Amino acid sequence: MADSSEFAINRALVIQRHRHLKWPALDWLEALLMILCGVCMFGFTLCVFFDVTTRTIGYPWLWLQQVTTGFFAWGVFIGMAAATRRLDHIYLAEITRRMRGAKRQAIETVNRVIMLVIAGFMVGFGVQNALLDLGSFRMPSLVPMTVYTAIVPMSGVLIALFTVEQIVNGFKNGYAGPEDSEFGAEPVE
Amino acid sequence: MSQGMILVLMGLVFLSLGYMGVPVAFALIGGVLVATALTPISFQSIIGQLFHGIDSETLLAIPFFLLVGELMTSSEVTRRMIRLAQALVGHLRGGLAQVVTLFSMFFAGISGSSAADVAVLSRSIAPEMDKEKYDRAFTAALIASASTIANLIPPSIMAVVYGATGNVSIGGLFLAGVVPGVMIGIGLMVYSYFFGPTGHLKPRAPLVEIFAAARGSALPMVIPVLIMGGILTGWFTPTEAGMAAAFYILLVLIPILRPRHVRNLPSDFMYTGLLYSLPLAAVAGASAFGWMLAYLRGPDTVAEYIQAYAGTDARMIMLLLVLLFIIVGDFVDAVPAIIIFMPIILKLTELGDINSVHMGVVIITTLVFGLITPPYGLSLLIAAKFVGVPFYKAMLRSFPLYIVFLLTIAFVVLFPEVVLYLPKWLLPESVGCFKNPSGTGYICPR
Repeated sequence: MADSSEFAINRALVIQRHRHLKWPALDWLEALLMILCGVCMFGFTLCVFFDVTTRTIGYPWLWLQQVTTGFFAWGVFIGMAAATRRLDHIYLAEITRRMRGAKRQAIETVNRVIMLVIAGFMVGFGVQNALLDLGSFRMPSLVPMTVYTAIVPMSGVLIALFTVEQIVNGFKNGYAGPEDSEFGAEPVE
Repeated sequence: MSQGMILVLMGLVFLSLGYMGVPVAFALIGGVLVATALTPISFQSIIGQLFHGIDSETLLAIPFFLLVGELMTSSEVTRRMIRLAQALVGHLRGGLAQVVTLFSMFFAGISGSSAADVAVLSRSIAPEMDKEKYDRAFTAALIASASTIANLIPPSIMAVVYGATGNVSIGGLFLAGVVPGVMIGIGLMVYSYFFGPTGHLKPRAPLVEIFAAARGSALPMVIPVLIMGGILTGWFTPTEAGMAAAFYILLVLIPILRPRHVRNLPSDFMYTGLLYSLPLAAVAGASAFGWMLAYLRGPDTVAEYIQAYAGTDARMIMLLLVLLFIIVGDFVDAVPAIIIFMPIILKLTELGDINSVHMGVVIITTLVFGLITPPYGLSLLIAAKFVGVPFYKAMLRSFPLYIVFLLTIAFVVLFPEVVLYLPKWLLPESVGCFKNPSGTGYICPR
């Protein structure tokens, strides 16, 4: 049965689940990404608040909406990278959790290679988009679109880094961990 | 390769990757990238679509409704609402089961997230149900089923996504979701009363206790009024209403009811920051997928199939869509499903001359059912994990509860006038009504 401690663990800056797939040297990066998630969330909460307030008193700050969408979009892609390291993404199925041995090793590795390829696309074509966006501007502040879209390749780099980390540690320590029995599933070969 | 084949391949790649264990967002992008390689579309524009898919101000409402749920849960203000539910229905047969459902209906008015609801109930009521010898599988099945109400009774994250992608009034969807939400709630309470475990029978709470519990939960219960009142009076957009609710909790509820929780607020913001990125990453992938689907004329193909069976009969179209979405909901998360299939939904809404708010509620109610059906019943998965019971046992205990959902879906399809009563009354423009030019009142389409 879940208790308060489990909820506290899920909220930790650096999650200790799947420790065997992580390099301690990258823990600071996970913590930083979590803090940035909080900053983005707090940032656009404050922006929407001031947007409503300034509009209500008759002196709207139009640029606030642009800052809001910036925080929002950056938050999504930063969170996407953080969730990759914490293995917190939404999954359709977690069949690999119920597997053991070479079969699991193979499928988990293939999954991460696919993520690595997709992260590569995000970096490569994301950079091209960001460069192209130097010529597009958001009204009324005329901020280049690159300010918004640059987060896509940056997120791709982080996702690639965390995926490589998991592949290397997965090969070294195996992918299975004590957390895998969370759903009460029986191991299958 | 023909467009139809590419379409099928894209879907297969997505499902294969998803069921191999690739996160949904990446499985969607993977499917789209394979399709892109077979079309003249550039990879650059597809990667660009990831950003444009979430670059919408309406979607900003999602983090706010998640923040509201997280703040209420982590500060444990929700316990006051549980106490009220206990005072009101705790004396009935299967008292704690009734409390689960009634609380979910209260909580649904505050948070748009089923996961937050499951978290609260698993932490607070499930241990009590264990003590009263409720079967754990039943507890998990009931908590999961009741948590789905959060997606129907406003504010609902699914309604925000549907409204944002389909250009449908979110206020209208919020109001129209009340009927199916309440129906599922009542259905679950009736089922628990007649067919669920008895639990410990307790005496009816005295009026003084009910009054004290109501007073204790008065401050949290202002939130639904703030959200819906703000939207209905036109003061707030759904996003701003979510923000107002979050500020109300931060500036009023927590300082008054849980002042010591203030030091945990940075953690609440960080965790919500992570939490909102998860469905929105899926939205980013799904919008690219939906874009490619539209490019490959997927909506036309599906619409042609459905038209061949249903003609332009609105009810038949909706019933076939219900069938389609029951299947889709079994395999795909609701938020990406809405975005991926939106072009098809819009096409069929037009074909059957169906009210867009009505269609939205039919689709959302059907997808809500998918949250408790295998293999991908997200609410049931989370509830089974938190309650500590194997998924298949919880699944078996949830089968009888399907009847409640299926009856509700049928009702929503067959009685649009009941479902649309609230939006027509409170937000007439949302359902296509317009002001009578020659007098007072509104003129509404049939």
